Amino acid sequence: MKKTIISVAGLAAVIALSFSVADAQAASCPIKIGGLAPLSAPGAVGGGEAMRDAMLFAERDINAAGGVLGCDVKVVIADTEGLPEKAAAVMEKLITQDGVVGVGGAYHSSVGVASKDISNARSIPTVFAETWNDTITGDKQKFIFRIAPLSSWASATLWQAALLVPNVKNVAIITENTDYGIPAAEETAKGLESGGVKSTTFGVDIGMQDFSGIIERVKAGKPDYIIVLNTGEAGYNFAQQAADAGIGPQDVPFQAGQVALESKAWWENVPDGNYAFVQRIGTPVSTWNDKAKKLNEDYKAKTGKGAIESYALEAYDSISILAQAINEANSTDGNKIVTALENISHDGTLGRIYFPYGTQKDPSVDGKGDEWWHQWPDPAMTMIQYQNEGEESTDSVIVWPDAYKSGDAVYVK
Amino acid sequence: MEFSNIFWSVLAWMVFWAVVGSIVTRRVYLQRDLDTSNAGLAGSLLGASTGPIGLIYLWIKAPEVSSRMLVVPAIGAIGLFLISFALADPSNLCVTSGSFVASQISNGLIIGIIYGFMALGLTLIFSILGVVSFAHGEFYMIGGMITYFVTTVWFPDIGPIAGIAAACIATFMLGAIFERLFLTPMYSGKVDRPVEYGILITFGLAFTLQYFVQATVGANPVKAKRFFDFPSLRLPSAEDPWLIKTSRGNMELFETISISNPRFTAAVACILVFIALMYFLRRTWTGKALRAVSLDRDAAAIAGINPDRMNMLAFALGSMIAALAGAMLVQAFSWLPQVGAIPAMRSFVIVVLGGLGSIPGAFLGGVIVGLVEAAGTGCIPDAQKAASYIPAYGMIILTLTLLLRPTGLLGRKFSSGTHGKV
Repeated sequence: MKKTIISVAGLAAVIALSFSVADAQAASCPIKIGGLAPLSAPGAVGGGEAMRDAMLFAERDINAAGGVLGCDVKVVIADTEGLPEKAAAVMEKLITQDGVVGVGGAYHSSVGVASKDISNARSIPTVFAETWNDTITGDKQKFIFRIAPLSSWASATLWQAALLVPNVKNVAIITENTDYGIPAAEETAKGLESGGVKSTTFGVDIGMQDFSGIIERVKAGKPDYIIVLNTGEAGYNFAQQAADAGIGPQDVPFQAGQVALESKAWWENVPDGNYAFVQRIGTPVSTWNDKAKKLNEDYKAKTGKGAIESYALEAYDSISILAQAINEANSTDGNKIVTALENISHDGTLGRIYFPYGTQKDPSVDGKGDEWWHQWPDPAMTMIQYQNEGEESTDSVIVWPDAYKSGDAVYVK
Repeated sequence: MEFSNIFWSVLAWMVFWAVVGSIVTRRVYLQRDLDTSNAGLAGSLLGASTGPIGLIYLWIKAPEVSSRMLVVPAIGAIGLFLISFALADPSNLCVTSGSFVASQISNGLIIGIIYGFMALGLTLIFSILGVVSFAHGEFYMIGGMITYFVTTVWFPDIGPIAGIAAACIATFMLGAIFERLFLTPMYSGKVDRPVEYGILITFGLAFTLQYFVQATVGANPVKAKRFFDFPSLRLPSAEDPWLIKTSRGNMELFETISISNPRFTAAVACILVFIALMYFLRRTWTGKALRAVSLDRDAAAIAGINPDRMNMLAFALGSMIAALAGAMLVQAFSWLPQVGAIPAMRSFVIVVLGGLGSIPGAFLGGVIVGLVEAAGTGCIPDAQKAASYIPAYGMIILTLTLLLRPTGLLGRKFSSGTHGKV
């Protein structure tokens, strides 16, 4: 009997203690949200800095609107370097040392793939902003969400735009050997094949500088169209070296990597980069909502850039949506935030963000694949083309799809 | 690869007889009380190129190993490898297209010259100070950054020579100051483990420089403008320019070999500076003093040379050479604070391949690494993997060198390591 009393008392003490810890956790201010971004090479540093700035703007705007659960929000920025091993380490640090209650941001797919298991295992809701690899949501993990497009959707943009090139028969795909590059190249090649177009994929290391050898090989294949899937400075290096060798954007229809959206860096690093096509995530500037327009103005004033990049918009929304979910959950408990995210309707800079599939409704119910789990279904994807030297990517002509088209493509040859 | 069995069978045969040749030849020479220093290498090369026939002859005669005994079988082994590759993959571009092969060779040569030049600085420092400078890549990065800021940001109208000169002067001084402040404890016996101290202190310098630049400049890629445009040339005639045809950024030779302007400029500058450096080391008093210290510090000190001063000069000069390579390449590659990591790693491979402390060896090693990388990138049948393996090519060369000839191609057994014990 005495033992039973002691056990019950002990259990009560443990329960009381756990409740007080939970309350303390809920009440501890400021509430911290992690923000992943590549801020050192070999990551895409330009993209990382843009995302960092946008996430800090999100922090400012959330706090200006009253914060979360009566507390200010603090976004703890963590440098992933674009490396999976570093990503796993910083995710662990954000959760165990910094005490974040949610994580947003992230640029490279390899970072998402490597860090998602850690945040999921520790029940920390994570909204990935710009990581495309299908498996990130395809593993159907409870705490993992994404507002970036799936790699398979993004690849569809690439190959569908490629099929529009007049007389295209032979495409060269240059890709980095990463969790983003390899599946993206495979899906693009598959799509091109479905359109009767032959393609050859050239894999390169993420931090590669000298492309002369591989450029000779690409050149020997006489491609009608070149697709570059490199992130970071490798994307610039390949484009300019290809231009020097006579197969650049002014010689062959050429789709540059995402880094080309950083207009200032693009024109400095690739002075012969006019007529390059670039894939852009997000709606055209002309259709931006007030939130996106205001963020764009603030961002331009701070950075001196001509316009905000699409991944910066995604990074901003990844933090804002977590803040809204915490408020709606009225708790910093991971499970409650997940429930709030699954039911959320967030008016972000990219439009209305929601997650139709998750624990409450499996994607298979509607005949969708597992990758639709906790996946925002509506990210807009366009193909733009630089048609004037020095122009901003936000001012460039949208050549595809027809729904957003603002001008005709120029196909050099 | 259409007939991969041919290739892999020949490769297995070559490796088998190379291993047998290396092990048995060394034992045979040892039993006969002959010089074994190059016996293993000679046995492995002869085994790879001729199989048991050449090896049996070698074991019976056991001649003194000469340079010819190394070079001829090496050429034979390479030839056998190439023939088996051509038979196994007859439709490969490296087999069917002479112009493609010529382009890849020229690419390999040009980048190899630049690699070799960068490695020169590293080997110069090692030969005099006995220190492997882990900050070599950061000096390369700083050379490019200074040139970029001088020619593109601060004085956009100034010529590239001024930017390159500024980079050279700044890094020479930085190298000299660093050597005086942080490396002198190695020579005075203040530290128990000078080799480890040298590694750690240069590591520290590398991190400091890299993060200092990142904090002050940012981590966005930058690039200098092309130093100059090629003049418009079409020879022998404008209608049929089969010899040479140039555009602003590119040169085409024999309608086959394409060389980009920035790489051409960098390679020519590297060759000129290499010649000047060799002249300086072999013809001037200071250069001879540097070489004397690298050979024997004690004897050099007795002859009136101040080894400490030579240490400072070597470190400053080696750092400046790395910076000069960076200054020439900032017009070719996008530049950021971490840009030196891969070239520095490659320089270590080249220095070991060429022979620790050997300046001509570093240059030769650079060219070999450049050619191997170009061959791998151009000829490996799977396009998706050919360029992905580039970092591995250097490591394979390094492993083979350490196995077959630990002193490197032109190295000597005791290149350095005295650490200023005067």
